[in-house]
Amino acid sequence: MIFQAVTWGWSEILWVSLIGFALVFVLLVALIFIMKGFGACFRSRTTSLPGQPAIAPQPMISQEEIAAIATAMKIYRSALHDRESEVLTILSIKRAYSPWNSKIHGLTQLPDRK
Amino acid sequence: MWTLLTSSSNFVLESLETFAESTGVATLIESMGWRPLAMIVVAFVLLYLAIKHKFEPLLLLTIAFGMLLTNLPGANMYHTELFAGGHVHWDIFVANAGLLDYLYLGVKLGIYPCLIFLGVGAMTDFGPLIANPKSFLLGAAAQLGIFLTFIGAYALGFTPDQAASIGIIGGADGPTSIYLTAILAPELLGPIAVAAYSYMALVPVIQPPIMRLLTTEKERKIKMRQLRPVSKTEKILFPLIITVIIALLLPSAAPLVGCLMLGNLMKECGVVDRLSKTVQNELMNIVVIFLGITVGATATADAFLNAQTLKILVLGVIAFAMGTAGGVLLAKVMNLFLKEGNKINPLIGSAGVSAVPMAARVSQTEGQKADPSNFLLMHAMGPNVAGVVGSAVAAGILLAFLA
Repeated sequence: MIFQAVTWGWSEILWVSLIGFALVFVLLVALIFIMKGFGACFRSRTTSLPGQPAIAPQPMISQEEIAAIATAMKIYRSALHDRESEVLTILSIKRAYSPWNSKIHGLTQLPDRK
Repeated sequence: MWTLLTSSSNFVLESLETFAESTGVATLIESMGWRPLAMIVVAFVLLYLAIKHKFEPLLLLTIAFGMLLTNLPGANMYHTELFAGGHVHWDIFVANAGLLDYLYLGVKLGIYPCLIFLGVGAMTDFGPLIANPKSFLLGAAAQLGIFLTFIGAYALGFTPDQAASIGIIGGADGPTSIYLTAILAPELLGPIAVAAYSYMALVPVIQPPIMRLLTTEKERKIKMRQLRPVSKTEKILFPLIITVIIALLLPSAAPLVGCLMLGNLMKECGVVDRLSKTVQNELMNIVVIFLGITVGATATADAFLNAQTLKILVLGVIAFAMGTAGGVLLAKVMNLFLKEGNKINPLIGSAGVSAVPMAARVSQTEGQKADPSNFLLMHAMGPNVAGVVGSAVAAGILLAFLA
């Protein structure tokens, strides 16, 4: 506790608020500079690798164009239907006998009283 | 024979009487205070809001149920005396503790909020923030509500520790509020958690009028430049850099920020998919249950039904409003210095209060009301995640000053 020996009063409250808010700003502004430097470093690496041609900047797509593409894709996908072959088939399934699924082995046999 | 029958009937009657006396109904009739009953009603109201109106149901439902359990007499699941004075009384703990006392240790020792941050980190995409680091400024400005409410709460007679715990509601970040309050003012944990989560659910109601009041129609129509693509390496290095910087500069914020960034690293590195999915789903859900039920358990009638709770609820909404205003106003100030074409839509400033992703969605909705072709969501996610870091930093600063 930084203010351990201090008796809390209005001046301390105001100072803590001011310093606290300023510190939040200072810390996050420091992060901005670090992230900007870090981003610039990455962009320069990706744009100018030695021996490789520089990547041409791609033209920006406007938000209207993105929305139009998204809408067109949605309409196209919603227009798609699953078409069934409309041919009914009856498949006869033959299974090899196995005692593991045999009903006769799963039931208690009654004694054969004759 | 008659004597035997009489004595055994006496025994049965005595046993039934003892059983009846041990029930909660007897305790309720005996004490018959209106306060536990009122708290049970409050619990039912919160359950109704969570189930019917879906107000942050994941947390409000468990908080309300914890509130119900702790206020039912005779259940003995939570004992305030074990945590009196802000400390765990280990000497009497094992002999007296109920189920919720054991679970509450996770809140008291600051474990649950950090585990929730682990899950939040794994669910968050920091890409918009990396692409536009200026968003950190909006995240910082939205912490204005915390510090102004800190002053306001002190003016209303709260101690500095309590005032800081109330102020942090303005960060719109539930785990951070619980983390700070459990350390500084555990006696206010119930009302503060209920206020924080209720107001987070009410972000779409509280924020839009303030955003419209502080911006012009022209400003709301500003279209922002598309964000640059962010590489995977940048996304992997970001949590490492932030952890090192925050832990070195502000060690008291390291538990929260460290867990947030560990979760994010798990997601971005792509080599621990199992861990990433676990912290996003199973771990997060388990911790949410424990956190909700124990925070609700602290809302006993004595702790909740007083004038302080009313003040906390009022101060909480003021903190939210001022945080929103701080973000919007700073965006307007930044626009004074930015060139045409690089301007910021001030509506994204309000997303600087954490409340991920609700606050960003509000910015998007308000932006589309002004111009339906305007897409602000990804731009607003930058300040939104910066707000999470900002509120954790603000909590760390308050802890460094007060704890």
